[in-house]
Amino acid sequence: MPWKDGYTISDEQSLPDAEISWPEGARCCVGVTVDLGLAADPQGIQAADLATPVAHFAMHEGLDRLLEVLARHRTRATFAMPAAMARILGPRLRTLASEGHEIAAHGFRQEDVSTLDRREEEARLRRTTEILAEVAGRRPSGWFSLPRQGDRFAGGGISPHTMDLLIAQGYAYMGNGLADDVPHRWVTDFAARRSILVLPYYYHFDDQFFCMFPAKGTGLENPDALARNWRWEFEAQYRRGRHFHMTLHPQHIGWSHRLQLLDDFLGHIAGFQGLWNPTGAECAAHWDATYPAATHLRLEPSIWQDHSGSLS
Amino acid sequence: MPDDLDRELAELADAAARYEARHEPIPDLAWPEGARIAVNFTADFDAMLLRRLMNEPPMQLAKGEFGGRVGIWRLIELFDGHGVKATIFTPGRICELYPRAVVAAQRSGHEIADHMWEHRVPKEAELERDHLQRSTAALETLTGRRPAGTRSYHSHGLLRELGYLYRSNGSADHRPHYLRDADGGNCMVNLPFHYAIDDAMYFSFAWMGTDTSAQRMADPERVLDLWWDAFRQQHARGAGGYLNICLHPFVSGRALRIAMLDRLITRMKELPGVWFPTCEAVARHCLDKHPPRGGWN
Repeated sequence: MPWKDGYTISDEQSLPDAEISWPEGARCCVGVTVDLGLAADPQGIQAADLATPVAHFAMHEGLDRLLEVLARHRTRATFAMPAAMARILGPRLRTLASEGHEIAAHGFRQEDVSTLDRREEEARLRRTTEILAEVAGRRPSGWFSLPRQGDRFAGGGISPHTMDLLIAQGYAYMGNGLADDVPHRWVTDFAARRSILVLPYYYHFDDQFFCMFPAKGTGLENPDALARNWRWEFEAQYRRGRHFHMTLHPQHIGWSHRLQLLDDFLGHIAGFQGLWNPTGAECAAHWDATYPAATHLRLEPSIWQDHSGSLS
Repeated sequence: MPDDLDRELAELADAAARYEARHEPIPDLAWPEGARIAVNFTADFDAMLLRRLMNEPPMQLAKGEFGGRVGIWRLIELFDGHGVKATIFTPGRICELYPRAVVAAQRSGHEIADHMWEHRVPKEAELERDHLQRSTAALETLTGRRPAGTRSYHSHGLLRELGYLYRSNGSADHRPHYLRDADGGNCMVNLPFHYAIDDAMYFSFAWMGTDTSAQRMADPERVLDLWWDAFRQQHARGAGGYLNICLHPFVSGRALRIAMLDRLITRMKELPGVWFPTCEAVARHCLDKHPPRGGWN
C-alpha cells in the first residue's frame, strides 16, 4: 500500500491464508493472553482498585481456578503483568513461568501512556522492564497495552512514542494490535523500515467486554455472546489456517458459569487436529523467522496529495 | 389563545407535509425476471478514514486499517464465491490508500460508488463541490468508470450535476423510492438501509464517538438470526421486496463475520426469486421501469 503517515501502520495487504504456515505442520495457532491488571480505567491501578472483593478474587481463587482449567486442557498462556502486580504477586510469577506460561510486561501500573512525554514514558518502560526481570527472573520480551473496562475505546492506549521505545529497549513484540488477525509489523519509520512485530488482539474475544460490562446499566452479563464469538472465530480461523486469540481476566472468566464456558470451549477445540499453542514470544519468534521484515514487509511510497480544504 | 393553538398545529402539519412532498414511493415495484426480492450488499470502505477524521487514537486507526489490509479482500472473495454483485461505497481518499483493492473489486464486477472524499460533507458550498469533484474524479481515474451513486448527504443539485443517479441513506421506506429537494427539483433514486441492518451497530465499539456506557456487543448467531428474519419478511411479500445490508470491511471482514455472512447468503439462495444486483442495477431498473411520476427533474 502506498504508505501514509498518521493513517497506516503496515503494508497494503495481509499475508493470504495459503502462505501462512505454523511449526511442525500445525494448522492453526491458538494464543491466550491472561491480563493480570486490575485497573478500572486509564489512570491505571490505584490503591482502591486493590482493596476490593473483585481484586481479592482475581489474585486468589479466580487465578487458581483459571490456572486449573488451563492446565486441564494443557493450554499455555502469556501473562500480561503490570510492574505493580509483579511486586504484589512476587514469587507467584516464577511459578507461572515454571508451568510453561510466559510473563510479559503490561505497563508500570497499567496506566494510559498516550499523553506522557517521551522521557517520562521511557523511564516508566525501563523501570517496568527491570522490575519484571527481577521478580520473574527473566527479562520480558513482550509488552502489552491492553484496554481497561472504563476506557473510551476498546483497543488499548499507546502514545506516538510507545512502539519506537519498545524497539529501542529490545522488545521482540507488542502484544495487542488490531490491524490484522495474524502477527504483523507496526512501522514506526517508513524511510528506515523500522518496525516491531505486533500480535493480534480483538476486543470481541476479550472477556472483560462481556462480563458485567459496561459498569452500570442492565443487560450487562453476556458471556454466552463471548463464547459464541470464540467458537465462530476459532472455527473460521481454523478453516483458514490462521490464528485464534483470546484475552482473559481471572476476575471475569474465573467466576463460576463463565469458567464453565471457558472449560467447554477449550474442550471443544481440543477435538481439532493440528493446533499450535505457543506463548507470545514463541509465536513472535516463529513469525520473525518465517516472515522476516526484510522480505515480507512490502512498503510502497506514498501517493497521497495534499489539497487545501482536505485533511493531510 | 385558541388561534395560537391552531397555529401551532398548522405549523406541525405543514412541516410534515413539506417533508412528505419530497418523497415519492414506487407503489408497484417489480423486479426483473419475476424476482421476489432484491438484496443489495453494500460495503462502506472507509477503513481508518473516519477514525482519523474524528481524531481517534492510534489503535482505533489500526482497527480501521484491518478493513483495507484484510477485510475488503475477504468480502470480495465471499461475494465472488456466491455470484453476488455488491456495491463498495468508497471515499475518494481510499484510492490513495488501497488502490489495488478498489481495482480488484471492480474487476470482479462489483460497483464502485462514492462515499465522500474524506468521509465528510463540508458545510461550505464551494468546498463541498471541491470534495465531491475530487472524490468522483479519483474513483473515475482509478476504475475508468464514473460513479453512479453515493452514500452521503451531498446536496442533490451537486450530485445531479455530476451525473449521480442514486443515493443510499435513511429508512423512510422499506423499498427504493424517489427523493427530491424541498422545492420539488433534483430528483434522485434513494436506496434505503436501516441501522438495524448495519454491522457497525452490533460490533463496532465506540461507533460514532458513543460513550463506553452505551456499548453492548453482539455475536454472529444473534445478528444472523435478526438479518435472516429481515430478509424473510421482505421475501414473503411475494414481489418488490428489498433489503440493503450495510457492511464495513473492518467490521465484517473479521473471519467470524465472513462465516456468518457466508451462512446468511447460502440460506438466502435456497429460497426462490432472490436477486443480488449492484445498487446501480437497482437504481437503473427503477428509472427504466418505474420512472418518477413527478418527472426526472
